[in-house]
Amino acid sequence: MTSPASGKTPKPFPGVRPIGRPFWLLLPGVAWLLVFGLAPILFMGAVSFWRSSIFGTTPDFQFGNYARMIEEPLYVELLVKTLRIAALTTILSLIFSYPLAWFLASRKGAWKAVCVVAVFVPFWISYVVRTFVWLPILGRNGLINQTLMGLGLISSPVEWFLYNEGTVYLGLVYVYTLFMTLPIYLALEKIDPKLIEAATDLGARPWQTFRHVVLPLSWPGVLSGSIMVFLLAVSAYVTPRLLGGTSGIMFGNMIANQFLSNNNWAFGSALSMTLVAVVALFLLVVGRWVGIREVFTGGKG
Amino acid sequence: MPADKAKNAVAVAIHRVSKRFGSVAALDDVSFDIMRGEFFSLLGPSGCGKTTLLRSIGGFEAPTAGDIQIDGQSVLHLAPYARPTNMIFQHLALFPHMNVRDNVAFGLRMKRTDAATTARRVEEALALVRLEGYGDRGIDQISGGQKQRVAMARALVNDPAVLLLDEPLGALDLQLRLQMQVELRRLQRQLGATFVFVTHDQGEAMAMSDRIAVMNSGRIQQIGTPAEIYERPVNRFVATFIGHANLIEGRVAEQRADGTALIDVEGLRVAGTAQALAAPGASMLAVMRYEKLQIEAGGNASVAGTGTSTLATVSEKTYMGAALRFVCRPGVGPTLTVDAPNTEAGRAICEGDSVRVSWAASEINLLAE
Ligand SMILES: Nc1ncnc2c1ncn2[C@@H]1O[C@H](COP(=O)(O)OP(=O)(O)OP(=O)(O)O)[C@@H](O)[C@H]1O
Ligand SMILES: [Mg+2]
Repeated sequence: MTSPASGKTPKPFPGVRPIGRPFWLLLPGVAWLLVFGLAPILFMGAVSFWRSSIFGTTPDFQFGNYARMIEEPLYVELLVKTLRIAALTTILSLIFSYPLAWFLASRKGAWKAVCVVAVFVPFWISYVVRTFVWLPILGRNGLINQTLMGLGLISSPVEWFLYNEGTVYLGLVYVYTLFMTLPIYLALEKIDPKLIEAATDLGARPWQTFRHVVLPLSWPGVLSGSIMVFLLAVSAYVTPRLLGGTSGIMFGNMIANQFLSNNNWAFGSALSMTLVAVVALFLLVVGRWVGIREVFTGGKG
Repeated sequence: MPADKAKNAVAVAIHRVSKRFGSVAALDDVSFDIMRGEFFSLLGPSGCGKTTLLRSIGGFEAPTAGDIQIDGQSVLHLAPYARPTNMIFQHLALFPHMNVRDNVAFGLRMKRTDAATTARRVEEALALVRLEGYGDRGIDQISGGQKQRVAMARALVNDPAVLLLDEPLGALDLQLRLQMQVELRRLQRQLGATFVFVTHDQGEAMAMSDRIAVMNSGRIQQIGTPAEIYERPVNRFVATFIGHANLIEGRVAEQRADGTALIDVEGLRVAGTAQALAAPGASMLAVMRYEKLQIEAGGNASVAGTGTSTLATVSEKTYMGAALRFVCRPGVGPTLTVDAPNTEAGRAICEGDSVRVSWAASEINLLAE
């Protein structure tokens, strides 16, 4: 027989619970998640099976909304296009952000503070304003057209600067790129410069040092930035609406239309649920591939 | 490993190297040679330029003036990755995103060594530092001493002509530090490699080095074997920085033919060995190391005039374990501190006792001031 003490872990201090036991400490967090995270999705999920007509939305359980979405190619095509725009926006932001983050991280002293503030200040302005500002720049009578005409390079205003998919990329990258720059900058900032010296000392040329030391150590920043930008871009609404015209419309605009103009809440909910499902699937796949823990915890310091 | 190359050849030649950081002269006209297969230490107080000199050899600092040659070739134009040196950094700088094996393999992979050779040499290097079987461990899964060994293996696997070590044991606790000192010395002997070792710990430098360069404010003060530096310090800085000594200034009373001289210090006569002939009346500094002085109780038969002893009173006694420290006041002249071995006779001497303090003229250094 075992001694009586070996059955349970002895209490080091009477009355003090071992770490991990007081589950009620989790309550605020769990409540928050339930109220603001899970509840809206459950509610929307329910509504997506309801029925909307000109007389209003009535509770039901039928698959008509989802069936309509699959039957009319317009919706699937728009979803694919939206995913493409989000993916390309993510890649463009990465290409733009990595060098910017590198530049910021390699500044020294007071210069660094100035540069960081200079990069981040514009982002204190509402993103609606930052999207809107492209209109007077790219528009028919905008800054660029005026300048080009003034220089005599073109004789009549260029129309294609605005209201197409390209403008949407421009707008999205500009609005969301800082969500990429910031985590990469923080990851680069954390890298001990001695590691770079050590790599150089061990025979690594600058490119090899980047490839084998800097990039892997900043990878968690790249991943969190990419996921952030992808999620923001995939649900974009304001940018395609202001800059996209008819050819630059995205899934978010379609959803908004159901709620705001068509008054078809049930169908709008079905579209939303589909987007949520697709994005969740995407995160799952990416998570499998790189290890989801790394993405949300910033990797091992 | 470089053992097969000729010994007695210069591995690193430092020629009139200076380095300024703005108005600070971190290195001031430094010249010396490090021989192949030598364990060479740079010793000096904080901020004296040791790291700067080491980093200049490794290629991380560009000297303001002078030349650095390795195996007869100037390396100043070479980037760190192209130099035949490897460095062990004070905080090791192991790559946190790689396991032990990949850390050690890094240098070989950067040189595109084939996988089979890399694997073999990595295992050899791990065996050399006694870390067989640790290859798959993460860097955060090994102890401080093991990290130290990984850093050694990561550098040595590249077979560097010169290994540069910047206070690699600084972060370890005393016990581990002593153990790693032995280990480092064993590795260096076994490989016959040239080690340049930076430390501000004189005991460490003494115990490990073939030769030591003592530095202060960017200048070389003295270069020599540990014994030479300890027994024959060339100036006041070296005499005080290494070991404990009574430093006593006096005037030359008599210069003898056998190289010894007698100086007069406030009436006390001290005989010592002068490193250069000095004219009578010239000012000299006597370096009397604590443990080179003997103390005996009583002592009435003073051999006056020979300058090798004096009568004194013990004013302070400190028990230090291995030694006993006595502060003694002679009838004339300055106080003398004596470290005596912890023996029964020594323990019997108490504060206030009359004693005789004596020394051999050959053990006392007289430096021209
Ligand atoms: N990058 C630098 N910029 C300006 N001054 C520097 C720089 N590196 C070193 N110095 C100065 O050069 C001098 C020598 O520095 P060094 O690091 O070589 O000293 P050290 O002997 O290694 O000291 P420690 O034992 O504290 O490591 C110091 O006065 C230091 O302040
Ligand atoms: Mg240093």
